[in-house]
This record gives sequence, C-alpha cells and structure tokens, in this order.
Amino acid sequence: MGTESAAYSEKDLLRMIRKWVPRERVPKRVKVKDTADFFRVDYDDVVVLEDVPYFVRNNEREGRFGIDDEQKFWVKRARNLLSGDVKILKWVFRERFEARIGDLVFECVRSPQKEARILELVSGKPAFMQGKTVLDTAGNQLRILDYIKGKTLGQVAPELGSNHEDYFHNHFPALLREFMRLTEAIRFLHDHNEKHGDIRRDHIIRDETTGHYRWIDFDFNYRHGESRFGYDLFGLGNVLLFLTGRGDVTTYRLLREAPEVFERLIEGDVNIVFQNRVNNLKKIYPYIPEKLNRVLMHFALSAPVYYEETQELLDDLGEAI
Amino acid sequence: MASQSENPVKDKHLLIAVDESDSSRRAVLYVADFLGGFPGFKVSLLSVIPEPEQDFYETEAELKVWVEEKLEKANAMLQNYKTILMQSGFPEDKVRYRACVGDAKSLADAILSIRCDLTCCTVVVGRHHKAKAEEFLFGSTSNRLVHEAKNCAVWVVE
Repeated sequence: MGTESAAYSEKDLLRMIRKWVPRERVPKRVKVKDTADFFRVDYDDVVVLEDVPYFVRNNEREGRFGIDDEQKFWVKRARNLLSGDVKILKWVFRERFEARIGDLVFECVRSPQKEARILELVSGKPAFMQGKTVLDTAGNQLRILDYIKGKTLGQVAPELGSNHEDYFHNHFPALLREFMRLTEAIRFLHDHNEKHGDIRRDHIIRDETTGHYRWIDFDFNYRHGESRFGYDLFGLGNVLLFLTGRGDVTTYRLLREAPEVFERLIEGDVNIVFQNRVNNLKKIYPYIPEKLNRVLMHFALSAPVYYEETQELLDDLGEAI
Repeated sequence: MASQSENPVKDKHLLIAVDESDSSRRAVLYVADFLGGFPGFKVSLLSVIPEPEQDFYETEAELKVWVEEKLEKANAMLQNYKTILMQSGFPEDKVRYRACVGDAKSLADAILSIRCDLTCCTVVVGRHHKAKAEEFLFGSTSNRLVHEAKNCAVWVVE
C-alpha cells in the first residue's frame, strides 16, 4: 500500500534541489529512497510521498531528561521540492517504556496513531503544530509536519527582562496570557478525550511567523490511573511555575544565592513531585499576587486538593490575571 | 428473585469492587469478617478493568488478547473471593461476581454506574496506600468514590 511515485528522474530532482538549496549544498547525485525504513534514508536522499518529492536533511534532535541533542533517527528535516517549504518527516517508531519521575514508575508508549489522530483533530488550530499523515510504502503512518521556526518557551522566558522583577512586571503578563491560550488548547484536547502526553516547556515553540506559541509532539501516551489528565495537568503546572519564576527556582540555588530566603521555606513550599523546586514563589518574590501564588500552591507538597480538570486551572488563572 | 418475593425483608446488597491488590483482598476479608453468617445481606463482587487505550497496542488482535487475559485473571480472582465469602457464612446464592471492561471516564465512575444498575446500597473498596505524588498524578479511586457517590454508602477499608 505504497504512496511513492517514480515520476521524477534524477535530473528533475537535481534541478528542483538547485532551486531551493545553496549551490554548495547541492549533491552530485541524488537517490530516491523507499520510505519503509527510516534507517535507510540518509542526508541528501529524496523520498516521495503522495507524489511530492522531499529532499532529506538532518535527523532532528531532542534534549530530554538531561541528555542533550539526542538524535531522533526516525524524525528528519526535509524540503518539499515542489513548494520549497521545510517539513519534518516523522516515521513510525513505536516505543513502550517505563517512565520514572522520582520514585514513581509508569508505563508510556510512543504511538504514531495517537499523533496522527491529534493532527487531524487540531488541523487549522494555531496553538498546535500542523501536519498531515500519509502512508509509507509499508503502510505505516508517516507524518509530514510543518517546520516551526522559533525558540522553545523554555529558551524564551529566562532571556526576558533584566532581572526577575523587571521580567515579572513587563514581560510575564503577556507570557501568562499566552500560557492561558495554550492551556485552553490542552482543554480542547481533553474535551475530545485526548491527552497531550508529554507537556513540558520545550514542547512549546514560539512561532516566529506569528509570534504565538504552539504545542508540538503529540505521540506520547501514558497509562493513566483514576485521573486521566492528571499527568497533563502536572505538566501545565510545571510550565506555569517555570514562567512565574523565570526559570526553575531550586532549593539548591536558593541555598547558594539567598540563604536567608531558603531559611523561611517550609516542607510544604516545594513541588509535590520535584521536591527540589520551590512552588511558594511569593516567599522569594513578594510582588507575586496572592491569587497567582495560590494557583502555584495547588502543585505544592502542601496542597490539600489538586486540579482534576483543565478548566479549574483556567478559572483560577482567570481570577489571578 | 423468587426467594426475595417470599421474604418480606429485602437483602441489603453490597458491591465490593476489587482489583488484584492486597488492599482489595483486605476489603473482601473485612466484609467476610463483619457480615459473614448474618442473614439479610448479599454481595456482588466486581472487577472493572480500565478500558485499555488502543495506542498501547499495535493491532486490534493484540488488544483483544490483552483484554481476554485480564478478564480470565479477574474471573479467577473473583471466584477465589467468592469462596472466601462463602467460607465466612454467606450462602452461595447470595454472592455473585462479575468482571468487565470499564468504558467510563474513570474507574470510580464505572463502579458507581454498575452500583446504580445493581441497586446496591453500599460500595466497598480497599484503600491503596499511594504516595502523595502518585495520588496527585494519577488520582485515587477510593477518593473519587467518596466524593462522587450518591444515594449509597461507601466503605473504604484500610
């Protein structure tokens, strides 16, 4: 059940490549590769999907759990040789593994069909990466994603403002509005019974063309317990904490840089899961409004109740803004 | 049902929702100790297998095998618990069991929906001892039952 076409000669392809790629980057020869096995598709190859030729560039990389620049061999940047657009080609790569957060271990899966489903669901929605799913020659779901040029939220926030107070008064309000927009987007997924699955600050990219942020990477799923969306909400809480603190405020950092503030912390002030992160940021930055701090404290060790629905978080943020 | 119509006092019907955990076993033993041998009670043992998400399985067939294995295991466990209750004095016809796949939003919702269908007056569950972080991330069925149950009592057995 293939989708390839042999309609392009090598001469045609080289002519098209020359149109979009600097002269020094144009290869002497170009091969059209079968799409069934991503390991056989290399830099400078061409793959044809639904009659469109894509000139393959580098594998994408991802920093995860401290391992920076981990290559994702099944994710390749490519140029659509008809339109010149840069795309991300994501082959099927199934992975079933146990994720670990602190002492907690839970089952996760990387599911191409989940991402394909969500891409269809969020088509045209600006808060999500866009793309479509086609079948490779083996009948697997290969995703063709629009490349989003821009920095991740994790890169943007710490660079804003001259210090925390300047950041908080002059940049944070706009970021908080963006965060609420992003949370609304997650609510949309949840309303359709879908999880994002891997919410973190480097899965949010500021699209340089629009200035707005987009969620990326929807292929993770986790085996949920009673609370289907609890792990997603935890991710949202982490992003909000990062934004409010202009980075992670750790107990280690406080002890080193502001021991007198560290002394004022109590056990319940830290994050319920990452207990080296401080959630009670008002103790460090007193100008943080009480209502906003109260939202952060829903994710703290001392929290008596937790958010179960995205809407609850949105309602509280609406009051805090 | 025939015996019920002859008996003017309707049996109190308890629903014990169990999984393979020790806490579920404690819940069954508690009911056995507490009510075994007393007339006027009947028990439905229930095991709800959370609806598996297709994303975790490459094919429908793989998913089907998983569900069948789970149901088989659950039925064996329920039969075992039925024996425990009978040994404590419950008549055989007063103990029923059922294993099913829950398609509700949560396990607690599935249990409460079945309670409603069976018109049980009490739901009994064991309390899993979860770390706070685990409860925060993945929720607690007993906690949700306590908060969401209507027109029935909930016994959470430590």
